[in-house]
Amino acid sequence: MEFKTVLTSCPYCGCGCGLLLEVLDGKLVGTLPSKTSPVNHGKLCVKGWTVHEFVTSPNRLTKPMVRKGDTLQESSWDDALNLAATRLKEIKEKYGSDSIGVLTSAKCTNEENYVLQKFARAAIGTNNIDHCARL
Amino acid sequence: MTNSIEEIEGADCILIIGSNTSIAHPLIATRVSRAKARGAKLIVADPRKIPIILQSDLHLQQNLGTDVALINGLMHIILKKGWQDQVFIDERTENIEALKKVVENYPPEKVSEITGIPVADLEKAAEYYAKAERASILYTMGITQHTTGVDNVKSLANLAMLTGNLGKESTGINPLRGQNNVQGACDMGGLPNVYTGYQAVIDQAVRQKFEEAWGARLPDKIGLTATEMFPAVLDGKMKALIILGENPVVSDADCLHVEKALKAIDFLLVIDIFKTPTSDLAHVVLPGAAFAEKEGTFSNTERRVQLLRKAVEPPGESKPDWQIIQELSSRFGYPMDYASPRAIMEEIAKLTPSYGGITYDRLQGDGLQWPCPNTEHPGTKFLHQGRFTRGKGLFSAIEYKPAAEIADEEYPFQLTTGRVHVHYHTGTMTRNSPSLEREISECFLEMHPEDAVELKVADGDWVVIASRRGAVSSRVKLTDAAGRKTVFMPFHFLESRANILTNPAFDPIAKIPEYKVCAVKIQKMDPSDKSILSSASAH
Amino acid sequence: MSSKIKETVQKLLAENKIKGFLGLREENGHIMPHLFCDPKELDALSLGDWKKAGDTRYPLNQLMIRLTMEYPEETFAVLVRGCDERGLKELFKWKQLNEEKIVPIGMGCPDELAKACECEKPFPDSLIDGPKGGKADSQKVTRIEAMDLDARLQFWKAEFDRCIKCFGCRNICPMCFCNECSLEEDQLVGTGEIPPANPTFHLARAIHMVGRCIDCGLCEEACPADIPLRTLYKKVAEIISKEFGYKTGFSVDEKSPFNIIEVK
Repeated sequence: MEFKTVLTSCPYCGCGCGLLLEVLDGKLVGTLPSKTSPVNHGKLCVKGWTVHEFVTSPNRLTKPMVRKGDTLQESSWDDALNLAATRLKEIKEKYGSDSIGVLTSAKCTNEENYVLQKFARAAIGTNNIDHCARL
Repeated sequence: MTNSIEEIEGADCILIIGSNTSIAHPLIATRVSRAKARGAKLIVADPRKIPIILQSDLHLQQNLGTDVALINGLMHIILKKGWQDQVFIDERTENIEALKKVVENYPPEKVSEITGIPVADLEKAAEYYAKAERASILYTMGITQHTTGVDNVKSLANLAMLTGNLGKESTGINPLRGQNNVQGACDMGGLPNVYTGYQAVIDQAVRQKFEEAWGARLPDKIGLTATEMFPAVLDGKMKALIILGENPVVSDADCLHVEKALKAIDFLLVIDIFKTPTSDLAHVVLPGAAFAEKEGTFSNTERRVQLLRKAVEPPGESKPDWQIIQELSSRFGYPMDYASPRAIMEEIAKLTPSYGGITYDRLQGDGLQWPCPNTEHPGTKFLHQGRFTRGKGLFSAIEYKPAAEIADEEYPFQLTTGRVHVHYHTGTMTRNSPSLEREISECFLEMHPEDAVELKVADGDWVVIASRRGAVSSRVKLTDAAGRKTVFMPFHFLESRANILTNPAFDPIAKIPEYKVCAVKIQKMDPSDKSILSSASAH
Repeated sequence: MSSKIKETVQKLLAENKIKGFLGLREENGHIMPHLFCDPKELDALSLGDWKKAGDTRYPLNQLMIRLTMEYPEETFAVLVRGCDERGLKELFKWKQLNEEKIVPIGMGCPDELAKACECEKPFPDSLIDGPKGGKADSQKVTRIEAMDLDARLQFWKAEFDRCIKCFGCRNICPMCFCNECSLEEDQLVGTGEIPPANPTFHLARAIHMVGRCIDCGLCEEACPADIPLRTLYKKVAEIISKEFGYKTGFSVDEKSPFNIIEVK
């Protein structure tokens, strides 16, 4: 038996409110506002209060998928990653580094954004990297 | 933000312009209410009657796309009355004469005509803002999503500098960032012109530093922005795209164009936590972990870097994006082998002066606000104290230019877009939250009741809305929130994609599209007959 | 930190009298609810007094309901102040928690906190540590009642105008346990608008707090609009006390006149 609350940061707007995720036996069961967060001091908006709902949605993607004709079909990580790496390499060789573009994400972590822009610049060799800051 | 969230409470005057604060940044609205309770004056400049006007002392209901005229008009009054902060201007700024020359041409009567705001309200607003001991400006996409987005922001900077409202507590120009880590994505070099911490890719010394650290030759040419990438695909110059956690098929201006590009592309890789209209077009889709399932950091709108802690395991075979990217990179031929997000942050801190003092150990408490150059540095609550980054603050003399697409005979309405309180961006997360979807589950077009009489539509009726780019259908919601001939639509709904209509014309510098103004025509429709949609979009 | 509380819990755990203790844990200056199952973890135990007395309270009873739904056969201890214990008494009568399976670990509130809360009984019967403070009168209710009826309505309507319909007042409430909530009845409160129907939304909630509200104040602390909800519900409690002679959470066996569930 384990019940804990885990302090983290809200994934919605730029306020960056502190959330406590309620975890019962490894399952996300609810959300509370963090009283000790410097941003929100124990308060949240309606989206913050309900973050556990989308995380636990049955609609989440759980397997890699690759296109076979008109449809996307489940695949292994190995096949999907190899296919992606091979196609990107082919396109880089044939059309040059700047024929590839990368959209990183304002919803992902700093570390993920860092790693992806490093991949774009150092591996692919392009500065064609942007994200939805303008949207 | 130049200043911090908690400082808003201490302002004596708050100017909210182009920000639906209580809907898009509710916990910042909290601070605004508290400033109000302390006796602060609240000015809200917005073309719509948004909820926060219920607390305002003054609502300036400007016509769409007339912000530069409005701000120039306020500065005109301030200068005429001698309310400027001359000491601040003399000591910390330059180019005031050029500004004075331009704003001279914006007398209240002329500004009133352009903006639709009564002269008396302009005078009151100028007085509230200029006479306040500490005045703070809050803005969001209502300011930036225009072909004059940069002009709008520079105008706000002019206003703040003219009155000495920068570089001290509870003042500043404060863009409220719309996405939880849009600040961080920019800080991390998720932009075509800069590496981490806004270090320019065209600066040879900087590039060399990164080349040594990364062991690779790096491109010296500025890359394409997102708004330029999709046209490049259609031109045949761009052959592959990697899209991480974004949904441009719904979120981008003139999104039918985006959809066309993604259908034409040779290879599309999408990493996301949900199936989206964008992932539907991909060749490979990789399942990422959600925020609750991984470690890392987010940087909020006040530049506060905060820790994300793992609460639960990712579902099925999904895994954190940083792992996915490094596995892809290794297979691509550029090996990456970070043990953890903590290890990645160590590399970021080494290469990024403004993040130099940021370590996971130091983030455990309240996080740290950058700039934080070394591990002894406590972080920075507000920017520009004593001096600006470039030395002196530069006034920019800016003339008002109308929006790129103005209503005309064929497209007689002006459409503006925005969020609702329960939904977020393209709804990928919120529309998968039953409590939120229960509250608002379908799109609506806000229309003035008198316009509805002319169009012979009643509240709840279906209409087709068409612009030069395409057409969508939606129910009508009658409200006098905006003036006549100005309609509003949220952009969250795939069924009624507002961004089919929006204008991709963008600001020449920021490359931000004009989401906030485009011209549309509207007609009543029979919801069972969708054929009207295709005929309306034929042009 | 109270050593008496820690020792009491340690003993209960060591003697296997409880499966776990639901309390608060402190880590790097952050305080959060936690189920302590291992006595060794208790070094991180916090009483929720972060910067000042009682400023970091969480709805532990609400979390306890969730926990006992998953583990109905187990016995748990829970940290309670005076208000939380009033909540437990009501939750027992409303059949949301089983009295035989809950061990309250009581702490009394310091004077300063009792005064700020205008608390009627700032200590629990199951007091293990902390003061046994006296009753504090509610000046907040008196101040509002001094206004005439029109001014009072205007006051509340202006307060409710700031509401962003976050449902935080309901979500954090340890006494809001209904499966269906009137605030989500479209006929009563329309959807899609903020502020929500004014004053219907907040008055509907106030009416539903009759015989439920134990005056813990968590709603007001959670309100992003700083609406003085506690004052509103205090008035409701006062009416119930005057008209029905019922004081919520003060008795183990006397039932609220609005509770139709049979008590043994």
